[in-house]
Amino acid sequence: MDKPTRIYQCEDTAEGILSAVYDAGLSGYGHKYIKIQPQTENQMENFELFAEYVPVVTEEEKVLRVIHSVRDKISRQAHFYMMSAVASCYPDRGDAIYQFVTYGFTMGAKVCDALQIPCVKRIFEIKRAVHNEAHFMKEFLRFQEVQREPALLLAVIEPKNRVIPFITEHFADRFPEEWFIIYDKTHKEASFHYREGNWELHILTEEEAEKLEELLEQQEDYVDLWKAFFNSITIEERKNEKLQRNMFALHYRKHATEFL
Amino acid sequence: MIFQENATLKQKLEILSDAAKYDVACTSSGVERKGKKGQIGNSVASGICHSFAADGRCISLLKILFTNECIYNCKYCINRCTNDVPRATFTPEEVCTLTIEFYRRNYIEGLFLSSGIIESPDYTMELICRTLHDLRRLYRFNGYVHCKAIPGASPELIEEAGWYADRMSINLELPTAQGLRELAPNKNRKTILTPMRQIQNGMAESRAELGMKGGNQSAYWYTQKRLGRALPGADIAAIGEKTNSNVKGLPQQGIIRADGTGLVRENPQAENSLSVKNASTALSQWKHRDTSRGFVPSGQSTQMIIGAAGESDYEIMAVTEALYQKFDLKRVFYSAFINVNQDANLPALRGQPPLRREHRLYQADFLLRYYGFRAEELLSEKRPFFNTYLDPKCDWALGHLEHFPVEINTAGFDVLLRVPGIGTKSAKRIVEARKSGSLDYHALKAIGVVMKRAIYFITCNGRMMYHFLKIDEDYITRNLLENDKDVMKDFGEKVTYKQLSLFDDYAEGG
Repeated sequence: MDKPTRIYQCEDTAEGILSAVYDAGLSGYGHKYIKIQPQTENQMENFELFAEYVPVVTEEEKVLRVIHSVRDKISRQAHFYMMSAVASCYPDRGDAIYQFVTYGFTMGAKVCDALQIPCVKRIFEIKRAVHNEAHFMKEFLRFQEVQREPALLLAVIEPKNRVIPFITEHFADRFPEEWFIIYDKTHKEASFHYREGNWELHILTEEEAEKLEELLEQQEDYVDLWKAFFNSITIEERKNEKLQRNMFALHYRKHATEFL
Repeated sequence: MIFQENATLKQKLEILSDAAKYDVACTSSGVERKGKKGQIGNSVASGICHSFAADGRCISLLKILFTNECIYNCKYCINRCTNDVPRATFTPEEVCTLTIEFYRRNYIEGLFLSSGIIESPDYTMELICRTLHDLRRLYRFNGYVHCKAIPGASPELIEEAGWYADRMSINLELPTAQGLRELAPNKNRKTILTPMRQIQNGMAESRAELGMKGGNQSAYWYTQKRLGRALPGADIAAIGEKTNSNVKGLPQQGIIRADGTGLVRENPQAENSLSVKNASTALSQWKHRDTSRGFVPSGQSTQMIIGAAGESDYEIMAVTEALYQKFDLKRVFYSAFINVNQDANLPALRGQPPLRREHRLYQADFLLRYYGFRAEELLSEKRPFFNTYLDPKCDWALGHLEHFPVEINTAGFDVLLRVPGIGTKSAKRIVEARKSGSLDYHALKAIGVVMKRAIYFITCNGRMMYHFLKIDEDYITRNLLENDKDVMKDFGEKVTYKQLSLFDDYAEGG
């Protein structure tokens, strides 16, 4: 007879999921019977009748153990895949990560290429989606100068996944002498970059988020020049708005200066 | 001529971007460079697009002319001296400020600076050099810079620009020398190819002395290397140093002879031929320039106007291949002809510019650079044009059904690459994935194979996806045309095909 499914209920955060991976792995219950369910607000809707529920306590120690063993015992690439999936928004990411890591400990570094295994395929898809989104943010994010002296740049984004860690590094390298803030409106978090490449990620309070929103209300001169350039660079004879939509999807235009 | 003496910065920007927009290249790829303390900017090897204009073309760089005044009278060009259009000229300071302020806001990856010819080629090149000098030295810009080499400018000025720029380009303008003579009376092949050769040799010297400096070899170079063929321009530098003679005895393998047009004939006297004398050394300013970025680390590109002088696709591809082989170019761009001047010497266009033809040329260009195809495999003198209905790879596969079906679980990388629906990324993934077990059709989807094209040409463990599939030219053609939206859709008045769908595999910012 089959064993009942065991569902690990964890916080809906990176730390929560990795703690659940640790607990589940340690249990030796068998990965076919294990699910990892990050607790969101409407969790009760998919309550399963014949399953055992196991609450997970989030602990830094568990998180670090998982991260280090994946990095050292599987590969850096596997570590990168896992961290990307952890930052994603997909409800099944906990299951996919747990199974991926389990396979990884048996197969070693080649697990990342084994796309014929369903959980590896899934991790690969999630990783691709997260980094595609991060890449779109690097392309389409726009800063505005919200303060002259000293100069402060501010950008707002609304990504599905928590991409700030993946994009802030890019801008920190690019603008070592600038103070800038990247504000993620979806997840109410922001990265703050100080000169010389130091930056921090903060979860924002309501008031802090409002303060940033207020700063964004300002107008500046270069917007006008950029729009002028954007319009005059079009070749009328080649006009093709469908192609433009394919390349620059409407939902990414929400904060893009040239479309406002 | 209309001069805008007191134009505002916005008016100048409008005039000088409008005048620059017919230049195709907007890529910011080819060099990886970290940020630096005290400077602004870095560069990403894959390039980054920042927006897409209403014509669907990528905006990556601030693409502007320094001035649209011009002493030349090229028949196809909006800026020719006989045209009655508003004229304007930037100051170096204006160009620098716009670049920096746009860059800080993440509107652009850098600057693309071109120019009309003002007074003389040297005078124009000097203005470009002064602007780039200021941008690099005074404004401390460390991002991407693409600039034009002006045909006929002196080697010293070309070299100076090359120490500031990441990429340089000189437009070939027209695929045949005859076309150039007719339509661009002030330009000739020699003034175009001489700086191109100088930059090529300069890059080789710089790499030998300083290393790659974050730049990379061209995709074409890597592909030839993988296939064990002669590398582009490999012995050019050596020949140039020793004998200072013409480029003879180049690798003959794979060079297409399009005889009768004189495109690539090795004839020193013919102005037509794609060869020029080698300068003994290309670079002489090592001591006076900032060599930290290297010389043109991102390589050079060129562009040709398509459909203005009656040349065939075969001629265009032959020239393209010769440019990749002999001049070690990074990219060749194609620009569908737009009759902006309604000149009597130019073909009248009915409806849209030849966008579909341009699209096919780009697809074929990718087949040369990434897939190891040779131009002569795709076209011939007897069959000088691409099939409008099928992409060049499908077209090739249908003409070579004896190579198919290909077994996914055993075929080599280069065999997989020739299967329609399999790109470079998916071929790599297949090769990696099958090390851990055999692949089925389900896994191929995840790998990114375009199944609607691939299923006619592949087997997994000896079986085709459906038993009723036939390896038959008519059958496959009919199905491809029916199932593939890209093939027939909107062919005619409105062209709305995904122009850049062939770039999906590369995510190149251009």
